[in-house]
Amino acid sequence: MDIKKAILTVAGKNQRTLPLQTLVDRNGVQQSALCILIEEILAAGIRDICLVVHPGDQAAFRNAAGAHASRLDFVEQPEPLGYGHAVACARSFAGEDPFLLLVGDHLYVSRQAKNCAQQLVEVAAAENCSVSAVQATHESKLPFYGTIGGQLEGNRAGLYRIETVVEKPTPTQAEQTLVVPGLRAGHYLCFFGMHVLTPAVMELLGETVSRAGQAGGIALSPALSALAERERYLACELLGRRYDIGAKYGLLVAQLAIALAGHDRDEVLTDLVELLAQQAR
Amino acid sequence: MPSRFVSLITATDPAVRNQSLDALAQPASLAELLAECRELDAFRRRSENLYERVRALFFLYALHRFHLPSKLSQAAGPSPLRHRLIPFAGFEHLLQRRFEEAIDAFLAAQNADGPGDGVSSALAAAYQQLGFQTLADQVRRSVRAVPGNQWMFRMGHPADHPLRLRPELLRLAEDGTFPILRERTPVRMDLSHSGWSDIFFLGMDFPEGARVLNISIDLGVHGRDREPRPPVETYLRVIDEPVLRLTSVDLGATADIRHLAEVFDFARDYLGLLKAAVIAAGIVPPGIEGSGQNLADLLARVVGPGRGLELISNVNNIPKGSRLAVSTNLLASLVSVCMRATGQAKSLEGPLEESERRLVLARALLGEWLGGSGGGWQDSGGVWPGMKLICGGLAGRGDAEFGISRGRLMPTHQILGSNDASAQTRRELQESLVLVHGGMAQNVGPILEMVTEKYLLRSAAEWRGRQEAIRILDDVIAALRAGDVRRIGALTTQNFFAPLQTIIPWASNHFTETLIRRVRAEFADNFWGFWMLGGMSGGGMGFIFAPEHKAHAQARLQAIMSQAKRELESALPFAMEPVVYDFAINERGTWADLLHGPDALLPQTYYALHVPRWLRADPQTLPAPRRAELDKFGAACRVRPELSGMMQILFDRLLPRIKTGGDQPQSLAELLAQNGFDRVQHEQIRADLKNGRIGLAQNRLPANADIRDVNDPDVVDATGPLAEDLRAAGRAALARGELAVVTLAAGVGSRWTQGAGVVKALHPFCKLGGAHRTFIETHLAKSRRVGRLAGNPLPHLVTTSYLTHTAIEEFLQRQHNHDYPGPLLLSPGRAIGLRLIPMERDLRFLWEEMPQQLLDEQQQKVRNSLHAALIHWARAAGEGGDYTDNVPPQCLHPVGHWFEVPNLLRNGVLASLLAGRPQLRHLMVHNIDTLGADPDPGMFGLHLAQESGLTFEVITRRLEDHGGGLARVNGQVRLVEGLAMPREEDEFTLRFYNSNTCWIDVDKLLATFGLTRDDLANQVKVAAAVRTVAARVPTYITIKEVKKRWGHGQEDVFPVAQFEKLWVDMTALPEITTRFVVVPRRRGQQLKDQAQLDGWLRDGSAAHVESLCEWQ
Repeated sequence: MDIKKAILTVAGKNQRTLPLQTLVDRNGVQQSALCILIEEILAAGIRDICLVVHPGDQAAFRNAAGAHASRLDFVEQPEPLGYGHAVACARSFAGEDPFLLLVGDHLYVSRQAKNCAQQLVEVAAAENCSVSAVQATHESKLPFYGTIGGQLEGNRAGLYRIETVVEKPTPTQAEQTLVVPGLRAGHYLCFFGMHVLTPAVMELLGETVSRAGQAGGIALSPALSALAERERYLACELLGRRYDIGAKYGLLVAQLAIALAGHDRDEVLTDLVELLAQQAR
Repeated sequence: MPSRFVSLITATDPAVRNQSLDALAQPASLAELLAECRELDAFRRRSENLYERVRALFFLYALHRFHLPSKLSQAAGPSPLRHRLIPFAGFEHLLQRRFEEAIDAFLAAQNADGPGDGVSSALAAAYQQLGFQTLADQVRRSVRAVPGNQWMFRMGHPADHPLRLRPELLRLAEDGTFPILRERTPVRMDLSHSGWSDIFFLGMDFPEGARVLNISIDLGVHGRDREPRPPVETYLRVIDEPVLRLTSVDLGATADIRHLAEVFDFARDYLGLLKAAVIAAGIVPPGIEGSGQNLADLLARVVGPGRGLELISNVNNIPKGSRLAVSTNLLASLVSVCMRATGQAKSLEGPLEESERRLVLARALLGEWLGGSGGGWQDSGGVWPGMKLICGGLAGRGDAEFGISRGRLMPTHQILGSNDASAQTRRELQESLVLVHGGMAQNVGPILEMVTEKYLLRSAAEWRGRQEAIRILDDVIAALRAGDVRRIGALTTQNFFAPLQTIIPWASNHFTETLIRRVRAEFADNFWGFWMLGGMSGGGMGFIFAPEHKAHAQARLQAIMSQAKRELESALPFAMEPVVYDFAINERGTWADLLHGPDALLPQTYYALHVPRWLRADPQTLPAPRRAELDKFGAACRVRPELSGMMQILFDRLLPRIKTGGDQPQSLAELLAQNGFDRVQHEQIRADLKNGRIGLAQNRLPANADIRDVNDPDVVDATGPLAEDLRAAGRAALARGELAVVTLAAGVGSRWTQGAGVVKALHPFCKLGGAHRTFIETHLAKSRRVGRLAGNPLPHLVTTSYLTHTAIEEFLQRQHNHDYPGPLLLSPGRAIGLRLIPMERDLRFLWEEMPQQLLDEQQQKVRNSLHAALIHWARAAGEGGDYTDNVPPQCLHPVGHWFEVPNLLRNGVLASLLAGRPQLRHLMVHNIDTLGADPDPGMFGLHLAQESGLTFEVITRRLEDHGGGLARVNGQVRLVEGLAMPREEDEFTLRFYNSNTCWIDVDKLLATFGLTRDDLANQVKVAAAVRTVAARVPTYITIKEVKKRWGHGQEDVFPVAQFEKLWVDMTALPEITTRFVVVPRRRGQQLKDQAQLDGWLRDGSAAHVESLCEWQ
């Protein structure tokens, strides 16, 4: 499977300004969160990128994309009918090709030379199926994520066959249907905010969108759950972490994580130690 | 050679596995039984299988309780002087629930001193309790391990709380109020009576036999409610305060909970069930208990900052004890409404899905465990719709129980379709069945333990009974399919009279059988059958009639039940007036609706409770949502017909009338005056109590008292056959008319019915000679037999008190004295006390200083919380004040059985008896519950030979024989009450326990009082003599439990202080010679507790008593 396209959703009510924030990347260069995400995608060998934006936001994002602006396609989500709807808006962009899907309010820090998107795209290409990146997450965070239930795929560490997907489950439901062998007690595999999906997802989302009409509330997870029933669909634990920049102090924590993983690590660490030492006094 | 008993446990062949232990143990010798006990004990220690361990424990219990005692007495000869003592250390371990340590201590004593009756009794108790504890632990583990329940035990910080309230509940309506989520849940009835197969322990070992036919029903009280409706209603809504507001409208209780610790404080108020639901539903998960975290933070996480939740329960005044699992279904309904509100069920409204119903069941089980109670696994049946067969299931891979027990904790529910029971059959069933509450409310806990024990022992008759009950269930299912309601009636009747009573004779009682007899007499062929609901009869019951007679039967049953209750209410514990229900099968199961705006109203009783408080508050301080709710409620009262009476109710609540007490049959003051209440003495006792001169600690002998066991020559051994010359002397004296029997019957059996205040003498406690017999009838039957043997009927005296006199007098009149051939006289009490609110000091002494049986972990928590609440009550109500907040008879108390013998002198009964029978020289005085005591000629001869003033009968001590004993106190041989023991451990050095049967030489007793027979006519002299001796006998302060009944079958138990003087202290008076005789246990044992009855029946004691009786 050759993955050449990426969709980045930034139309959500609370997401619209987050990718426009400025950070210092791991090379010590100031740039927008959007640029950092675009570079993550580019490093995975993907050149066609589509942003799903709120109507009227295109100029701001084009501006924030800087040098990458010229390679971006834009699709507007005319009404806020849910995340699944936002993805479906890019259906014509995806066409019959598989695509990498990212959310605009997360940044990723890899623990190895290959970045997170690269790791995921390689797994998907090798396995020739849809793959969602997941991270073992404590049950107290379940109200924030889509969560999968499944089994280890052929006893390969970090790779799981997805059987079901539930959006923001209660721990009660998670315990009954989403327990994955091998995880610590009270931990579940929650989405990382990064997927490689086959065109079948667009088809499933299309059906959902036409059923729901203007009622909205179209989530991605039910389509992914249906995908798991239709074709082979895997989850992969990547060597890296996601950072939700929309959470309280999320941007700060993401910045620290990027800085500590990069060029200016010693400088930032020194500043932090000094800060702590002053606080201790 | 492998142990035969162990093979019974490990066998895979059901024919071997299901053999009865008794059949194997009976022919075995003492040595063989002791060897088997050693094998079983080693086996249960090494086995890793739960049920092997438990069954071995119950085998050991049964061998030590029922088989070894008789083998020991046959093998070792009857000498009680070689009686082995029970080590106190083991007893202490037992109280602290350190069962393994207790067993080790008792076994060490057995190894050191040899086997003995006392040590066997201790081992029996320890093995039995360890067996039940092991089972309870497993149920608890299984409840926690049910998927969906586990996370709640891991969550310990509000920041980790994973639940969020559904957004629909947070949307304010235009009128400024939040929507209300209402859950309505039917209750359940069990069409087959399951043979108690819904006990978890049975279902987990014998899932094939665990089957019940369970029907969800709507209910109404006939004549009160317009139509049946789901009796359980629960409500949840958001409030604008960071508190949990819990309200039980039936119990009139409400509380704003602001701290996490209060949520886990179950007995603090009447809201324990609501708290358990909040916890079991995961809103306040059990894992957060004791975390020190803040409830407001938790609510902020789940509901939103500054917000809280209100939870309301309503069972529409359905009386307690209905045997329809009202409280379990209420808990399930509360759990369901909380789960829906937090997204743990898919739909906010309508029915639940099957997986959700199962989770509600698991959570309700968790809630029951948290609240320290426990129902059967079918009890949440109301959550499911219509009729269903609930079955146990074999544990499979993936179940938490796999490899531990054969069955799963959670049963499966198969809903019956129209092929299994057609719509017409369902209609016919409704048209034939009259559902009632007989008014009795009893604790079924001991029955459930008996069932478990008998099942594990596979006692032959009971095991056959269980098979028969299983067959009857199949027949009921077939009759349902065939639409034959009459056949169902025949089957449920057969079930009640055969297998159920074979398994548990105590499932029936005199009241129930009286009702069945009268209904059958009146309705003949149109009465199709009796149907027992739940744990035991007397409360919720069903009577099946030909449909055309149902309306008449409903009216008549009300009258028949009320009449029977009036006749028996002194003898049996009734909690309320009997009621007849209207019912309908509920085909929906539990169901929720979201109420918005003007429709979002709570039950009117909620407003009756809350609105007066809101109206009394300063309007300026009322928060806006409450003002909005008042507006809405006011508007609804003007237009809704069902709220038309609200204004009057609110008016009465705001301006309550003063209670005149005119509805009481007799006021407290009148009762006190009639019964010779001594106000001066009462005030003296109160002053002494308040000043600390008397109290529980002061009951005790000085700490330096030298208390040791008696020497062998201090007692006479009468456990074996008595010499013929003694028997002859006794017979001759009986023939001469020298003896009268005195039965002490002034008491109300506090322990017998946990303070329900029934006349114990009149309690029909057991079927003997083919009918339910009262204690008094049994004692008369023994006197009748001995009188006939001697050729001269014995006078039989019954001492009474203000509590028992009228009831006993009327009862004996109705029964024509049971045709007793001799004089039968009542000796009315001449003293009465007024109960006092206890001192905190005494309550703390009782609960914190005295050795107490520790309960299972969760139950102990509940008990500690209750004790704290009761201490608070005593302080608030005024320590040492008169206890008057109850019906008058419950405020008074008899002043101890010391007075009962002097009363014979004071009330003229003895004088009149002596006048007619000057040959009378001796009395045999015994307790109402010493059923084996009879005027045996040999024992009488022995008393005569002693030439003593008093001859007390004692028995060798078993573990359950608590409260003093025969001792040498500073060198003097005397009986010491448990209350007076300065150190608990001293009791365990005493071999002999008082049976309280006492032979009295009348003239010597009179001499002790400074009287002669002629003085008995002189009331002044007699009164002075009694007062003088009374002053020399100690006064004990005791704490008794009294029930206060209220509402619809609700009962509270309060500890109250009272004083008493005890007859055994006569043994300390030097001027009367006292002798002590050791008698067989069957003669001297007392029945204090209903839980003893089954063992008493099984160990041959009942048969022994029957052999002493002549009923006609």
